[in-house]
Amino acid sequence: MSAGTNAGEARSTSSEMEDRSTKRMTHLEGVIDAIAREMRRDERVFFIGQDIGPFGGSMQGAKGLYEEFGSQRILESPISESAMVGAAIGAAVFGRRPIVEVSFGEFLPAAMNQLINQAPNIRYMTGGAARVPVVVRTRMGDGPYGGHPQDYSAWFAHVPGLKVVVPASPADAKGLMTAAIRDDNPVLFLEAMSLSHGRRGEVPTDDHVEQIGTARIAREGRDATVVTWGSMVPPSLQAAKSLSREGIEVEVVDLRTLAPWDREAVLSSVGHTRRLIIAHEAWVTGGFGAEVAAAVAEENPVNLAAPVVRVGARPVPIPSGPLREHALPNAPQIAEAVRRVTSGGGS
Amino acid sequence: MGAGDTGYEERPRGVKGLELYRSLVLCRELERALCAVNPRWFPVEGEEAVVVGAFCDLRDDDAVAPHYRGPFVVYLMRGAELWRLAAQAFGKSAGYNKGRSVPFNGPFGSGVVPWVAGDLGTSLGTATGAALAFKQEGSDRVCVCSFGDGTANRGDFHENINLAAVWQLPIVYICQNNGWSISQRAATYLPAPVVARADGYGIPGVSVDGNDVEAVREAVSEAVSRARRGEGPTLIEALTSRRQGHWAGDKRAYRRETDTVEREDPVECYASRLLERGEATSDKLERIHELVAEEVAVEVERARREPDAGPSELGVEEVYA
Repeated sequence: MSAGTNAGEARSTSSEMEDRSTKRMTHLEGVIDAIAREMRRDERVFFIGQDIGPFGGSMQGAKGLYEEFGSQRILESPISESAMVGAAIGAAVFGRRPIVEVSFGEFLPAAMNQLINQAPNIRYMTGGAARVPVVVRTRMGDGPYGGHPQDYSAWFAHVPGLKVVVPASPADAKGLMTAAIRDDNPVLFLEAMSLSHGRRGEVPTDDHVEQIGTARIAREGRDATVVTWGSMVPPSLQAAKSLSREGIEVEVVDLRTLAPWDREAVLSSVGHTRRLIIAHEAWVTGGFGAEVAAAVAEENPVNLAAPVVRVGARPVPIPSGPLREHALPNAPQIAEAVRRVTSGGGS
Repeated sequence: MGAGDTGYEERPRGVKGLELYRSLVLCRELERALCAVNPRWFPVEGEEAVVVGAFCDLRDDDAVAPHYRGPFVVYLMRGAELWRLAAQAFGKSAGYNKGRSVPFNGPFGSGVVPWVAGDLGTSLGTATGAALAFKQEGSDRVCVCSFGDGTANRGDFHENINLAAVWQLPIVYICQNNGWSISQRAATYLPAPVVARADGYGIPGVSVDGNDVEAVREAVSEAVSRARRGEGPTLIEALTSRRQGHWAGDKRAYRRETDTVEREDPVECYASRLLERGEATSDKLERIHELVAEEVAVEVERARREPDAGPSELGVEEVYA
């Protein structure tokens, strides 16, 4: 990896790129690069969404695609999330490989029937005959403009048949989008809005595929495990860095995929740190952190030295404007949680 | 585009007089038999002409998304085996759905749009997507999608027809309007004819006597031809009558004595026409009826003897591809 990588950050699966040509990209540029490459290599891939024509997409998330591929493959749609997602599912069932963009995660409920009752069920309910290679792409959570901040990711991880992907680095954004487009299952691709235009990172310029369902050890440590994903990965790393100065070494596990999720990576990490903190942007109650905590409790890889702590949003609808920072989790809260589990006896 | 490229005939495939009559009778007898064995089955009686007329002229490479009331005759047109469809009504392992989905789902791979959710309107999205796939691949394949007048009030009706109109997708939407939404009469949910909405989408709207199989067929064929020519969707409202309850075991306490079925029985209507034109004799029609009833009885019995879907059909490994 290039200069700029934090000392102490562990090698990721995508760090085998020493000999590969890379380019510094934002998260969003990584996603667009994946879509453009797949559209070039497979004529069945096409893209549906709002404002994805000459405007370049919400938050410029489709920049350059219309200019390269034109209106036959970049389909601007009416504001009809249910029909857009439903039609993409149908087109996938009938042999195409659509990517459908729901501008913001807050709008997913408008397509809920298609996302919950239809896409995940088709293969199973047809006796294993049909395939549904559709990617539903959206922007989730808090972002630079403070709009549409609600994070509903946990709902979707609950349903068998959907894959739910949440990349946290530009390289993973590309590698996981490529994997999502090539996957024969419906994949919900959640882009943490706060990362979209965030720090650039090295991204392989060639074919880059990450495996859906595998976590990435974002930083190694011996004292506590922070399981996190998406927008909470950078604050978790920031907390780990400051805790390191206090002599506490935190292992940060970037889950990358909520369904199917990498239980082994979590169990293995907790197995040696004996302390678990789960940090996500969404609310704690019924959040996906509950599933991670439950799995650790069930598998009991080691007697924990301290109770599990979950860090998430306060139990209010995420407000807009300056008030929102009081509702959302952040690095100091994650650091405080780590201190709590590492302070008492038990180690 | 066109017949030369695909090897399929451009125009209706010529299901003629007696064959069409046989389809109507098959629809009626099969659905009656299923109602007899499954009180939760949805009787199609009175609406057969819409089902048969809407789907009988399609090419093998077209897509079909029939309404849940009476879809099996459509799947038979696509090459499904009767006993395996009947097995679905019993929840048997021999069903194409392996006993998993709502029973009116069809066999996948023969152009049938999957119907996997119990809710209404969701299938309009999948059907519209089939038409989108056909347009994307640059072929002249079409999709025909039917649904009830109750379903016409779901948001998916509006969203999908509007989308198909904007994108000029090759699809025909048929509202199988039987005047009932479960126990509610039309006055409680339809302020105006469904077909009147077509104007709002800038597409042709056609109202047709849903109990006249030839009229349905003609209206659909014209809409299908338009779709094949790349001229976009059509909304057809086929007016028909539900002669039974919502489901087979429905006691229909909500019906009033003044409720009458005004429309002619579609099977008898077509039989009279064949006789008037001298295209069939009473004996011939009766014989068709007997043979169909016999075949249905044998196939349904065969399905009944199959084992119930069990642990081996649970299929945890078939959730993901």
